[in-house]
Amino acid sequence: MPPQESTEKVAEEQSSFSRSTSKVRDFFSIPAPVKQLFDLVPVVTYPPNQLPLRAPKSARIPSLYVFSKDQDAAAGRPSFNPSCLKWQTFLNIAGVDHRLISSNNHSSPTGSLPFLLPAIYGPNSSQDSLVPITSNKFVKYAIEHGGKVEESSSMRYEAYQSLLDHRIRNAWLYTLYLEPLNFSAVAYPLYVLPTSSNPLVRASISHQLRSAAEAELLKNTSIIDTDDLYSEADKAFEALSILLGEDSWFFGSDKPALFDASVFAYTQLLLDDDLGWKEKKLCRALRRRANLVQHRERLLVRYFGGS
Amino acid sequence: MLELHVWGPAFGLPSLDAHCLAAIAYLQQAVPRGKWQLIASCDPALSPTNELPALRNGDIWIGGFRNIFHYLAQCSAGEWVLDAGLPEQEGADCIAFSSFVESHGQPLIDLSLYVSTQNYTTTTRPLYSTLLPFPLPYLTPPSIRATAKQRTSHLGLSSLDIDSDDSSPSASQSIIPDSLRRPRNTVSSLLASNPEASAQIRLDALATSFFEPLQKLRAKKRFFVSESQFSSLDCLVLGYLSLMLVPELPQPWLAQCMKKKFPSLCSWTEELRKTVYGAEVTVHDAFLTKLGDSELDLRMKRLRGRGHLPWKAPDNGGALGIGGVFLSGVADGIPVVGQLRRNTRMRQHGGLTTEDGVESSSFQYLTVIASVVAGLGAVAGYMFHEGLISFGDGEEVKEKGNGDGLGSLGEAGAALGFYANQMDEQVRRQRVMEEMNARNVVPVTEVDVDVEVERTPVL
Repeated sequence: MPPQESTEKVAEEQSSFSRSTSKVRDFFSIPAPVKQLFDLVPVVTYPPNQLPLRAPKSARIPSLYVFSKDQDAAAGRPSFNPSCLKWQTFLNIAGVDHRLISSNNHSSPTGSLPFLLPAIYGPNSSQDSLVPITSNKFVKYAIEHGGKVEESSSMRYEAYQSLLDHRIRNAWLYTLYLEPLNFSAVAYPLYVLPTSSNPLVRASISHQLRSAAEAELLKNTSIIDTDDLYSEADKAFEALSILLGEDSWFFGSDKPALFDASVFAYTQLLLDDDLGWKEKKLCRALRRRANLVQHRERLLVRYFGGS
Repeated sequence: MLELHVWGPAFGLPSLDAHCLAAIAYLQQAVPRGKWQLIASCDPALSPTNELPALRNGDIWIGGFRNIFHYLAQCSAGEWVLDAGLPEQEGADCIAFSSFVESHGQPLIDLSLYVSTQNYTTTTRPLYSTLLPFPLPYLTPPSIRATAKQRTSHLGLSSLDIDSDDSSPSASQSIIPDSLRRPRNTVSSLLASNPEASAQIRLDALATSFFEPLQKLRAKKRFFVSESQFSSLDCLVLGYLSLMLVPELPQPWLAQCMKKKFPSLCSWTEELRKTVYGAEVTVHDAFLTKLGDSELDLRMKRLRGRGHLPWKAPDNGGALGIGGVFLSGVADGIPVVGQLRRNTRMRQHGGLTTEDGVESSSFQYLTVIASVVAGLGAVAGYMFHEGLISFGDGEEVKEKGNGDGLGSLGEAGAALGFYANQMDEQVRRQRVMEEMNARNVVPVTEVDVDVEVERTPVL
């Protein structure tokens, strides 16, 4: 008998427990009149706010975001960053009308400049047409928007492109960021000063820049060998100079193309005296190749209206 | 006498590194026989650029393939130069394609030999174990692999490395227990078991973009830039292509792509490989270990093989030297200390000071001795402990087996095996520790990555 008794007791306890919990639940549930009132909310839905006045306005022509000074951007002068300058020159060559906007990496959806914000055609353009275009899709964009794009299909294209992307770029990284003289004279005023007025922030940013350059260089070698970097860049300029020969543009074409823009991106910056290079080893190596210097002059006059 | 120090032989090739292969080919072609020797080394710190191949001429050390061939031109007053007399355009092609081969070929080799887990664990790592003396195989291959991963990270093919894949299936999100769920064999889940297959298209595209310009450049010529002249570009291409074609790997996507689409490159590689490197090279050739051959046999072998490479037995400084390499490897692996060491290494290179080396060498000597003694003590104590237990058993077996050597050998083998297991255990523990370290560091690295993503375009 005792077991039965206990089970009854347990059942009783359980029912009392469930009763008390339902009481608690009743206590917390919303009373009917209040619920009815709350169901009416929101009473009024306001239209979305206007964008702030300083927000970028949609333009009739596409905007290219690059590293540049404000007054230079307004005048359409060359950017001081090689990859920005490459694509800026490319768009100029392809004849895609655009305006420059001085910016920095934080504004880019991919974390890197340049990118292009397409133009708005009419008020009813869809949201898709406003997606920013990153630099690897510029060629496609230029073709779709009536640009004149001609690509050389030479077997040498890839090889000489790798000279620019590795040998010359590595020497550029070293000479701009890791040569102390050049860093304080060239890179610091261009990349660090505009970002902040706080000395601590400036110090931290310049440290970040330098260590990023160092890490990039150490990816392929276990030691940064200065002599090797410079001598390889010198040989690379030599090879490019031989490739160009007596022609006006690379690969013997009668019009400049993307490859000319990529070469110009480095030659322009290395030959630009306004930047104030202090350690000029790389600049000297380039100046020895007269046809590369003339190639830069031609592009500068043709697409940037002289210096 | 010039000494060329390289990573040791593998896959029947005289080295397992593309630049070492290129340097061997260059010396083989440019420098007369008898003026140079080849040494299978294991310590990249020998060279001033901290990489192999390294060339030693008396007290002068030259590191890196490019520096070596520049130095050879210098020290022989322009005699040992392969690129001499190339026409202008061909010289320019030589420079441009060298850069192309290095920048596009290295990621392919990294992916194929190091990043791909299956290839690395079944082929590459065991190879290093045959080449390096005892403690080094635990440090050197993982560090080489880490740099390979770093180099190829921008390609987005890290899925080949299934070790670090922590995208465990999101089972916790579903409330249906495992036992009640139907196994779904989707295409992607089938492919996930074989990452090489799912990345096949991208890998093929990557490989094709490397081989195609080379094939076009060579066209019908005998060598890459010239009809008659073996240039430095040919050395480099031979190094890279033979390392892509020759190894037999469990995931042979690279060799397959090359064989299927570029047969003429394959035949060129096979042919030149035989003339330049000679027939199959084994570890025994490199370390000059005798396989029961008498002196006479060896001499005969050398006489017969005119194309043989002039191997010389390595002198790695005995236990002390290896200990030093091991310790520096360990120090490089520790997060903060390693970074500091790398920084000083870079700064030093500007003006390499000899006093520094002298000063630090006595200190290094002490630390090496201290740690070796400590390590030996620990191992000896452990052996003694184990030996006390198994000693009696061994005696019994010996008596029962009427002094049969096999029984005791078995015991000894078992003890050795146990010792080896213990070593493995230690290494595993160490690896876990490293992983934990790595995990602790994770936030820091994330910050780094962020910065890099932001800054890369600036550069």
